[in-house]
Amino acid sequence: MIADVASSKPAGESRIPVEDRLFSLVLALLATETGLLKSEILSTVRGYAERYDARGGNANLERQFERDKDDIRDLGIPLETVESPDRPGDNQALRYRIPKGEYDLPVDVRFTADELALLGLAAEVWREASLSADSQRALTKLRSLGIEPREPVIGYAPRLRVRDAAFEPLRQALDKRQRVRFHYLKPGEQAPRLRTVEPYAVVLHEGRWHLHGRDVDAAAPRTFLLSRIVGDVKALPGAPFEPPPADVQDRVLADLQALRLANAADLAVSAGSDAEVRLGKRAVQSDDDAGVIRLHYTDEVVFADELASYGPEVRVLAPASLREAVRARLATVAAAHRAGGVA
Amino acid sequence: MSARPPRRPAGLRAPDKLVFLLSLVPYLLEQRVVDVADAAAHFGVGEQEIRDAVMLIATSGLPGATGTYQPNDLFDIDWDAFEEDDVIVIVHHVAIDDAPKLSAREAAALIAGLRYLSAAPENAGSASLAALTEKLRAGASGEPSRIAVAEEAVDQTLAEVRRAVASGHRLEFDYLNARGEHRRRRVDPLRIASLGADWYLQAYDQLRDDVRNFRIDRMSGLSITDEPIGDHTGRVIPETLFQASPDDLEVVVDVAPESLPLLADYLADSTSTEVDGRLRVTLRLAHVHGLKRLVAGLPGLVTVIAPKEAREVVAAWAEAGLAGYPDDLSDRDAIEAEV
Repeated sequence: MIADVASSKPAGESRIPVEDRLFSLVLALLATETGLLKSEILSTVRGYAERYDARGGNANLERQFERDKDDIRDLGIPLETVESPDRPGDNQALRYRIPKGEYDLPVDVRFTADELALLGLAAEVWREASLSADSQRALTKLRSLGIEPREPVIGYAPRLRVRDAAFEPLRQALDKRQRVRFHYLKPGEQAPRLRTVEPYAVVLHEGRWHLHGRDVDAAAPRTFLLSRIVGDVKALPGAPFEPPPADVQDRVLADLQALRLANAADLAVSAGSDAEVRLGKRAVQSDDDAGVIRLHYTDEVVFADELASYGPEVRVLAPASLREAVRARLATVAAAHRAGGVA
Repeated sequence: MSARPPRRPAGLRAPDKLVFLLSLVPYLLEQRVVDVADAAAHFGVGEQEIRDAVMLIATSGLPGATGTYQPNDLFDIDWDAFEEDDVIVIVHHVAIDDAPKLSAREAAALIAGLRYLSAAPENAGSASLAALTEKLRAGASGEPSRIAVAEEAVDQTLAEVRRAVASGHRLEFDYLNARGEHRRRRVDPLRIASLGADWYLQAYDQLRDDVRNFRIDRMSGLSITDEPIGDHTGRVIPETLFQASPDDLEVVVDVAPESLPLLADYLADSTSTEVDGRLRVTLRLAHVHGLKRLVAGLPGLVTVIAPKEAREVVAAWAEAGLAGYPDDLSDRDAIEAEV
């Protein structure tokens, strides 16, 4: 029976599906302690062996192997390259393996039914974003533990969205520690300026995605709003840059929060208006009789845009710069829509 | 066994299929004997996907010393049980027996998702979230990618609404709609949804005999009643928070190309024409009151072209706002300063 099955699939008869080849490669590399030579892999592992030519000329197959290695590493599988102690630097003598101890989920990493339900919800958060594929793969891996999650939390559908085109290329550069280059329109500047940045972290603060990194030209750390990146983000070739300090992302969030607390605006809101209800919920101080509230904000330009949307429902009392920013925005909108304007 | 509906698209990429195979093996070993149907429910996939994967696993293994994939180097299953009873039993396995680690990106995605969930009242500041995050870090093959989400302050209203949904009681609140009208509402709360920083309650509104979305930050004067909500089994709760209606207003606007994604929810169709370096598109909105707020919040980036009434409403909105600053510079000066 067993032999039948094995022999019912003669090598090379039909094209081996990609996942079959990848699965066979992972199994072979997990089973070896010393590692396998590339020539051994290509000549014996299912999916390669059928196309291997012992006389040479396996360039296509070698390229295929390179791509497969990248795909496997992308999944978090620790595929290692080991140099031959006798022949250092000789590519033909390199050995490949996946150390089982590095591959297995540590035994103390186990999850309860409640935790899995929460993780399921955390994955759902990304349903509309590019992180969806990653979070679904993570859930698949965790399901291998065989724990049945508690019934999904009903009546709850939180979602994060990423509308900035720069997010995905930045995220990839972040993982590979690759420098990036993009045009950035800083408020107050007339035209976008080209920036070269070592991306350290991408964080969401007050509903907006920020990039923190080292500005190479300024040789100093900078934080950028993704929504102000104009055009494409280009990853630059070259060796990975030095890893940023651990937990840099938490420090950036703390800095942004400190910045937010340092900025306070006093606003007059009209009674019963949308501005009173919605901005009022975010107020840190309010004088209901006078209809004045105090709010913290991180970025004057972003906050001025939001305040302008409330039209006459809100009037900025202080600071003067925010007051002027909002007034100028309303003037711009009014001018663009006044009779005899554009149309 | 929860009946999780299959939601994977048929066209999974090969790396995703690989992850599935590498996860299915330890699950099957752990379970020892498992029905195809149970495995399918557990992984949220179709039964045929499980059968195909088991077939592949059962004929896979190691090339072995001779490079010929001899029977002893292969996985093997109880074929009779599989073919006759749809039951999976792995009787011989090679190379893998444990769950794979998470990738740095996978761990980061879940960690950031958890962080966002901490805005939910019952999770706020929860120690279990922190412990769970630590576990994900320990289970990742590399330092999780540095993607982080700030913990936002918890809105008291959200906590109340959440209680009403969880307990299944009718909810009353004052609601201010975008037209500026206040009304006391009494609804059957069904689901809390969010998009980024904005939280909504999706609730059955008896008056309109329909499910409506209410912005939580526009609610006030909440009270949870003693009345249980009605039976809403079979009622479809819309997945999108922006529902089109035949009464919607169509508005033509010019938008700066880089700002187009900000209007994605309102686009009537995917067509656009270029006019003087800007994109002319048609938006669909419930009424001009939503439009004026949208356009004023994207100053200089969106200009209403037609209909004329919509232009006028936006102009009046901005003019009225401007009138709040009578002693500042004249607006003409400001326009010049701005350009």
